[in-house]
Amino acid sequence: MKTLCSWFLFLTALSVFGQQTSGTISGNVKDESGVPLSFANVTIEGLKVGVLTDLNGNYFLEKVPTGKHKVVISFIGYGTRAKTVEITENSLNIRIDFTLQENVENLNEVTVNGKSQKTIIETEGFAVSAVQTEEASIRSIQTNELLNTTVGVKIRQNGGLGSNVEYSLNGLSGSAVRIFIDGIPISVYGSSFSLNSIPPSMIKQIEVYKGVVPGHLADDALGGAINIELHSEAKNNINASISYGSFNTIQANANGVYRFDKSGFTVKASIFNNYSDNNYKVWGRRVVVAGLGGVETPVTARRFNDAYRSTGGIAQIGYTNVKWADQFLVGLTVSDDFKEVQHGAFMTSRPYKDRFLESDATLANITYQKKDLFTEGLDLNIHGLYGKRNRIVNDTVAWAYNWNGERAIDFRGNEFQYTWDSQQEGGPTLATIKRNVASIRSGLNYTINEHHKFLLNHVYSSIDREDSDALVSVLENTFTGDRDLTKNIYALTYEINAFQNKFRASLFGKYYQQETVSIDPEIATGPDGNNIIVDDIVKSTTTNEGYGFAASYAILPNITLLASAEKAIRLPNETEIFGNDGDNVVANPTIKPEQSDNYNLGFRLGAFNFRKHQLTVSTNFFSRNIKDRIGLPIESSLNVDEELILYVNQGSGTSKGIDAQIDYSFNNNLALNFNFSRFELLIENQGVEIDVPNTPFFTMNGGLRYSIQDFLQRKSRLNLFYNIYYTDEFSYLNIRGTNTVGDEFFRIPEQIAQDFGLSYTFPNKKVIMSFDVKNIFDKPVYDNLSVQKPGRAFYLKLNYIINNF
Amino acid sequence: MKRNFLNFKSFAILLLALGLMTSCSSDDSSPSPEPDGETPTDPDPEEEEEARWITIAGAQMGENPGDGNGGTLIYSVSSTDAKDPSVSIDPFNNGFTVPSNRTARLQASEDGNTIFNISYAGDTGGNYTKYKVEGGQTFTQEGTNVSIEPYVGSAPRWIKLFDGDQTGAAVYVSTEHVIDDNGTAEDATDDTYVRTEATMGIVTLDLVNSQIIEFQEHSVPLTEEEESNGYYISRIDMPTLNAAGDKLYIGARLSKVDPATVESDREGAILGSKTIVLDYPSLTNPTVITSTVGHGNTNGYRSINAFEYNGDVYQANQGDPEGSHILKIGADNQYDDSYVFNLDDALGVEEAYILAWRPAANGKAVLAYRHAGSAEGAAGAQGFFALVDLNAQTATLIDEIPYDPDFYLFQYQGFAVDGNEIYLTQAPVGQDGNIYVVDTETGLVTKGAELVNATGSHFIGAW
Repeated sequence: MKTLCSWFLFLTALSVFGQQTSGTISGNVKDESGVPLSFANVTIEGLKVGVLTDLNGNYFLEKVPTGKHKVVISFIGYGTRAKTVEITENSLNIRIDFTLQENVENLNEVTVNGKSQKTIIETEGFAVSAVQTEEASIRSIQTNELLNTTVGVKIRQNGGLGSNVEYSLNGLSGSAVRIFIDGIPISVYGSSFSLNSIPPSMIKQIEVYKGVVPGHLADDALGGAINIELHSEAKNNINASISYGSFNTIQANANGVYRFDKSGFTVKASIFNNYSDNNYKVWGRRVVVAGLGGVETPVTARRFNDAYRSTGGIAQIGYTNVKWADQFLVGLTVSDDFKEVQHGAFMTSRPYKDRFLESDATLANITYQKKDLFTEGLDLNIHGLYGKRNRIVNDTVAWAYNWNGERAIDFRGNEFQYTWDSQQEGGPTLATIKRNVASIRSGLNYTINEHHKFLLNHVYSSIDREDSDALVSVLENTFTGDRDLTKNIYALTYEINAFQNKFRASLFGKYYQQETVSIDPEIATGPDGNNIIVDDIVKSTTTNEGYGFAASYAILPNITLLASAEKAIRLPNETEIFGNDGDNVVANPTIKPEQSDNYNLGFRLGAFNFRKHQLTVSTNFFSRNIKDRIGLPIESSLNVDEELILYVNQGSGTSKGIDAQIDYSFNNNLALNFNFSRFELLIENQGVEIDVPNTPFFTMNGGLRYSIQDFLQRKSRLNLFYNIYYTDEFSYLNIRGTNTVGDEFFRIPEQIAQDFGLSYTFPNKKVIMSFDVKNIFDKPVYDNLSVQKPGRAFYLKLNYIINNF
Repeated sequence: MKRNFLNFKSFAILLLALGLMTSCSSDDSSPSPEPDGETPTDPDPEEEEEARWITIAGAQMGENPGDGNGGTLIYSVSSTDAKDPSVSIDPFNNGFTVPSNRTARLQASEDGNTIFNISYAGDTGGNYTKYKVEGGQTFTQEGTNVSIEPYVGSAPRWIKLFDGDQTGAAVYVSTEHVIDDNGTAEDATDDTYVRTEATMGIVTLDLVNSQIIEFQEHSVPLTEEEESNGYYISRIDMPTLNAAGDKLYIGARLSKVDPATVESDREGAILGSKTIVLDYPSLTNPTVITSTVGHGNTNGYRSINAFEYNGDVYQANQGDPEGSHILKIGADNQYDDSYVFNLDDALGVEEAYILAWRPAANGKAVLAYRHAGSAEGAAGAQGFFALVDLNAQTATLIDEIPYDPDFYLFQYQGFAVDGNEIYLTQAPVGQDGNIYVVDTETGLVTKGAELVNATGSHFIGAW
């Protein structure tokens, strides 16, 4: 808290000194008939900024320095238009609308030089995908679904909405992938404010960095990072949406921003609520009901203990685009969720009843951003969070239930209770984890000139954790150890831009410092001879360095070579260092971090324009080479009863493969995209190399969008969407023999799912309605062995948008 | 001894009858030929009366060599082929994958014609299946599905009882610490540890008709003194039927907490070995018996740990500070402390640890063990086989079997018993090996069929 206070004082002090200032330019782009043009390029000549217009033809450029600027609009099939505006301290926020004429000339000559923000990110040299949320936010699409269609990303979810998710980037998953919200590690927010709950409409874009992570996302990300960038524009708007669909799924959210033009005082708020019964149908080898004698009958069952609810929001007040700050906001992030648990890691014949998880988080947030602080080219941004988050596991019902959702009977025909008195084996629990969390990300950038730039970033995060269980005695709770974790990660980046913008590179070094503390209460003899409880505090500090680079070279304006590499690190977590009493794992203070040498080499071809056709092809070849993997040694007669197991560094691993993506569009009303990802994941231990089982190593996604203008009503627009997802067969266990039988037991068959959707924008542009059908052909889909995901589902969504009031 | 003889006679008759049935049916449906030329020979009772199926199991590596977590594969050959060193068996390429997420705990019928499995962990954990052994990779599932998961969880510790392949028994224990808060719920300083309540569950399964027979739950307390010192039963396993067939013995592992903090205490003294005794078949009336000879656990690991012989039950213990013992539980259902059979003494080693064992009907057994002098191999301590005489209380290392440093037996499960002969598998982790047949009467060791191994994998026994 002290740190936070000092930052606050620092910021207040800064506000006095700030000199330079910036403004915004916004407006609307339409064709001669008045139909809004979406995805048109908007750039400011001379500045390297550009955006695309949204679905309603609106655009918004922020942080534009004062002075005269030429705004250029271009769009395939239409001409290019430019207007000059001047931003002065008296008129910081300028609005200009454009009308473009359809171009009947030879389109070969049209060259579009402006780059969208997505393109800028994707041509920096990193193996990165910038996922746009614009389209998804008006449909009933969840953030996780959107990510899953991104090249090189695979999401494994243990069921329907709100269920446990694991992210895999180019084959690396679990703690090798770090997730951030606005650059703050997601572990600070907890599960109630996560990719499961945040609606796409709150998100500006999602950046997925594979293998090589830039300095501003400072964490020990061994396999890559996903950064969710929430909306930060200070343009007046209100949007709200509600979606209802199968399995009693309701998703509602509202976002609003209001800025007082004169003072720059800004109020922002976003709220969301998600609910689903997740009572979809399941069947399969263990969806059975046992009768007398334990004789089993297969059933098709509806899940009955799988409901999910999450509610949350962010409120911020402060000043935007004022003399002393581009953004200065303070606020509160609050979230709360509830998730019933239908079964353990697998769908067995023993569904759970009334086992559920609850979590909540209350976090104060602060944001400060300023370009050209003190001197031109010096930018500062700070974002911090401080608060509490809690999690409770509730499992207290001893009665057995069957897949019909009724009390199960035993072999004699009587209802019965489990020997372990709870749903999950292991006994009743009300395990509570309370965490005090804090995280501050700060970045200081200095642009020397248009060729050289330095960036210094720091992320501090700390988690103080306290465990207890209301069903366990106070005495036992007293002697349950606590674990605290503090991380300081520094990154220094140098960016160069040379040969008329053809060559761009960034070189970065990272310094990791982690302190873990184990607090274990013990009994000691006090000064008066009585027994007293004292804390045995053990600290372990790990420091490490990593470095890397990303570079791109534009051989031709539309052929760019991209290369990046990083020596990446994953620091051991508190369990790996201090062990876990419950699992009989003891401490290993000498454990080393996992390391990986990550390489990416790719190219991006395009955009090629031919008449009304536009084509972009990009591909990336990657390799990850992991050393000192952390794991548990095998059970042996020496450790089976003696509780001497400790985490060790054992063996290495490699992931090699290719990602590719093709985007094609025609006349701006037909868009087609396709991507595939294929890799080989091996681990090595004592010289023996094996394929990692339970890994979908080949996935493909395809999408089609078709827009019809003036459908039914003039100035309206209908969008039709079609998506197809393919996951190749994989196996939970890799039986490596050539002629074995019985292996099909472990196999997860090839999966193809198809979605269809449409959205209709009413002529007033304020109302958009959408309808989605997911898994049209009701195919069984699995991310994990025998854990079936929802079948066919229908969703209807209503969006209401008011801009620029 | 008389009773035993009768058993053997009826067993021989049964074997003959089954053998004849097999030979009749196998004329028109011989096992599918193997691509690499291995053609398993059917047991042919007309030529060799004692021929039977021997099923070999291998455990494929998961993440670590020797961990056995990558799947269990089984393959069967005739006992004639099993004894033939020119025959080569390659279950990792040609076997049948047993449907179990973790290493399956396999059991075979006494005649070797049926394999029983209860899946361990995963979605089918607790599922009982049985397979007719038909040679090679052909194992045909028989009977209906039944699961013991609701009674003993998805990772059941189960054993087939020696009652003519009629019954399987599986056990579970859950524990809860009992604390006296002295009337002040919030104040920890005046709280005292009372004891730990251990609740056991036991289920019996009709292996023939795939049905649950009986299930009972009991509290299994120790003595007041033991309990106040923080001892409790934390794991149970290996149900064994006594000779009279009216009691079931269940092996137990003890754990200890520090009564002051209720944290696990690894420094405490190791108590006398304990066994839970229950009435059978009612599964009621539990008592705990304690040995004064052996100390340490009696719950074994994956291989059967206690056997009935000549009216008594002989039980191995593990983690004994004086080295493993074979303990004797007499016909009175109490430990017979006059029977002292210490493996350290018998083998002339230190820290002997019994990993698996199996007696033949003559009271002579083959025993897998490690000791202080074992090499630290790829997957743990090097294992050895000894020939043991329960009556003479002798144990001798079987010299005819090679013992590579990477030869480990921790996960060893199965010995196939055919009369006085015991079949076992020998192969270091990731290396080829052989079946060995030990004639327990004469001590003669025959090197049998070659076992083709796969990288990081190992063999877990013969059934």
